[in-house]
Amino acid sequence: MSETILETEKLEKIYKIGGREVRALSDVNLQVKRGDFISIMGPSGSGKTTLLNILGCLDRPTYGKVILDNVDLTKVPEKELYKIRRDKVGFIFQTFNLMPYLKAVENVELPMEAAGRPKDERRKRALELLKIVGLSDRGEHRPNRLSAGEQQRVAIARALANDPDIVLADEPTGNLDGKTKLEIVRLLGRLNGEQGTTIIMVTHDSQIASQAARMLFLADGKLLEKEKKGIHFMREELMCPGCGAKLPTEAKYCFKCGVKL
Amino acid sequence: MGVITRALRNVSRRKIRALLVIVALGFSMAIMMSIPASVVANQLALQGLSEDYNEIITEMEEQINKTMTLIECRLTGGFRRFMPSPFGQTSATSEQFMNESAIYDISSIEGVKDVVPFLEKSVGTTQNVEMRGRIFTMFVTDYTIVGVPLDSSLIDEYTVLPTNIIAGRNLQEGDSGVVILSLNLTEFFGASVGDQANILGRYFTVVGVYKSTDPLGLKNLYMSLSDAQAVTGLEGKISRLDVYAEDQSSINGIVSQITSLYPEFYVTTYEQRLSQLERTKETYQNMLANAESTLSQTRSVAFQVIVLSISATSLIILFTMLYNVRERTREIGILKAIGFSNSTIMSQFMLEGIVLSLMAGAIGVVVGIVGAPYLSSLLLPSINPFGSAGLSRSATLNPTTLTPTANLSQLVTGAPDLQTLLLMFGVSVLLGALGSLYPAWRASRTSPMEALRHE
Repeated sequence: MSETILETEKLEKIYKIGGREVRALSDVNLQVKRGDFISIMGPSGSGKTTLLNILGCLDRPTYGKVILDNVDLTKVPEKELYKIRRDKVGFIFQTFNLMPYLKAVENVELPMEAAGRPKDERRKRALELLKIVGLSDRGEHRPNRLSAGEQQRVAIARALANDPDIVLADEPTGNLDGKTKLEIVRLLGRLNGEQGTTIIMVTHDSQIASQAARMLFLADGKLLEKEKKGIHFMREELMCPGCGAKLPTEAKYCFKCGVKL
Repeated sequence: MGVITRALRNVSRRKIRALLVIVALGFSMAIMMSIPASVVANQLALQGLSEDYNEIITEMEEQINKTMTLIECRLTGGFRRFMPSPFGQTSATSEQFMNESAIYDISSIEGVKDVVPFLEKSVGTTQNVEMRGRIFTMFVTDYTIVGVPLDSSLIDEYTVLPTNIIAGRNLQEGDSGVVILSLNLTEFFGASVGDQANILGRYFTVVGVYKSTDPLGLKNLYMSLSDAQAVTGLEGKISRLDVYAEDQSSINGIVSQITSLYPEFYVTTYEQRLSQLERTKETYQNMLANAESTLSQTRSVAFQVIVLSISATSLIILFTMLYNVRERTREIGILKAIGFSNSTIMSQFMLEGIVLSLMAGAIGVVVGIVGAPYLSSLLLPSINPFGSAGLSRSATLNPTTLTPTANLSQLVTGAPDLQTLLLMFGVSVLLGALGSLYPAWRASRTSPMEALRHE
């Protein structure tokens, strides 16, 4: 599990706004190993979303390389990028971005439809994924009948639909209340621990960021080397970053050393 | 959950909007469907009219040329036999009869070769007809009894009996208690060759059926003069005399003698008939020219209307779909982010346009079937060689006379054939695709990042 799945080299992104150049990212060098759960923290305007968009092929860097699963994304022609987004990347958004006119299960099926997978297989996999995110009984509901937390769970299931190499979560808890926030980020942690899903999560919430195994900081478009160890998730339990004690996934404090999780 | 299902669901997401758009499009489609049909119907009607006119004129010419020595005598004005009017036979109330004795008086004039008497009596009912808000009392003819002398020396030499026998035989010398019917009358009497026909309470045996080439003879039945006089109660009466001169040079002398003997007679000769024929021809040609010019006007109006409705349809689809794309920018961003290709997104939006347009097409067909005559009368100048009064008169008085409007609604209404349906289907798909092409292209080119930022 130490294979490098995603790597960026001297990534730069410069926007031109009204003739003025704005440097959104500068010299970002990032290495992500398969099975990593990384949170990238930073204040708003620090370039978090720009970085995530570039990693997810929604945007292109001005300079530098992005290598995903040994493919240099900057060399992939524009017309072929959708295949990368479809097969290698899963997106989770702050605003969930579910199709309002589709049932939960149909929303999960959507990326598989894009991949041209047969109908039966799609439905089976979608139901499986809904079960994993704890919504096995909500598949027939439209998004407006689901709570915010449930909608984000559907979005997570959708992100996993095509077994992506990497899941990119852009402020996944930004629209959720305190309790649900933790539920969602721990679900991500659980998926990372149980399924080995590689996750990069962007947030400005330190409590949420600290749930990830590895924390990075982005400020003014620069990635700070100051990495901080987050909680490490294991099967059905988590490890205290302070004393290494094994704790249940719903724990809020370490019962051994009292560290707030 | 394929592209098609999604397109259908997207269309039904905004029900009221979709409905309004579809109804608006439907009317355009209905216009597109019914207008060409009306033009074709008008064209066919005009063609039929012109063919009929030509036939009438040819027939008249033939008749007139055969009868250079004929002097026609009757008590009422007009040129009943040879100068049919397109308005049909207007009335039998003006029928007047003369005494048989005129036959002998005229036969004895020098230069007269033969005299053929006719008795023509129309049978029918008086009806009140409303026309332009006024009530007219009119005599509607059921049939006309024509009594002719069945004398072989006359019927063999002159035009006395109809010639176009299609069943049975013609009348012949010595026939009594028998008739020949115009084909158009067989239904009225419910009788054909060998059957009995009840004529004014007496039964006659039908020995023959003929097809009339004279538009005024469509309701005639022929019997012997004496039978006709007996059955109509007009004993010793006749209505018309055909006087044949020995040669053309004696015609003027005969005419002057007849008019001095019977000043009340209307007498017509070859020359008068010829000049009347010219006038008739002119009238017909004017009518046809009028109809022709109306038709060409109709065609150009139809063309404009169709171009307008095609553009309207495409524009409605274009703006609806553009609005749709704008409104759903975010959705497009999501679809792109989760891996839909540009072409899939483009085909989805085009499909939505086509679905809209197909639904409109279905409505258009229904509206078109129900409303085609109204739509076309509303939008197209009507073809009417007789003028509006003439048309209604001919329609009420003589149903056999051509009525273009009747033809029109027959052709345009009724279940549309497969060809029309396929055409409408094709037009719908084409216009849907055309109208949604640009919006769909715009949708597919939307940058996913921008789209996701869109609120």
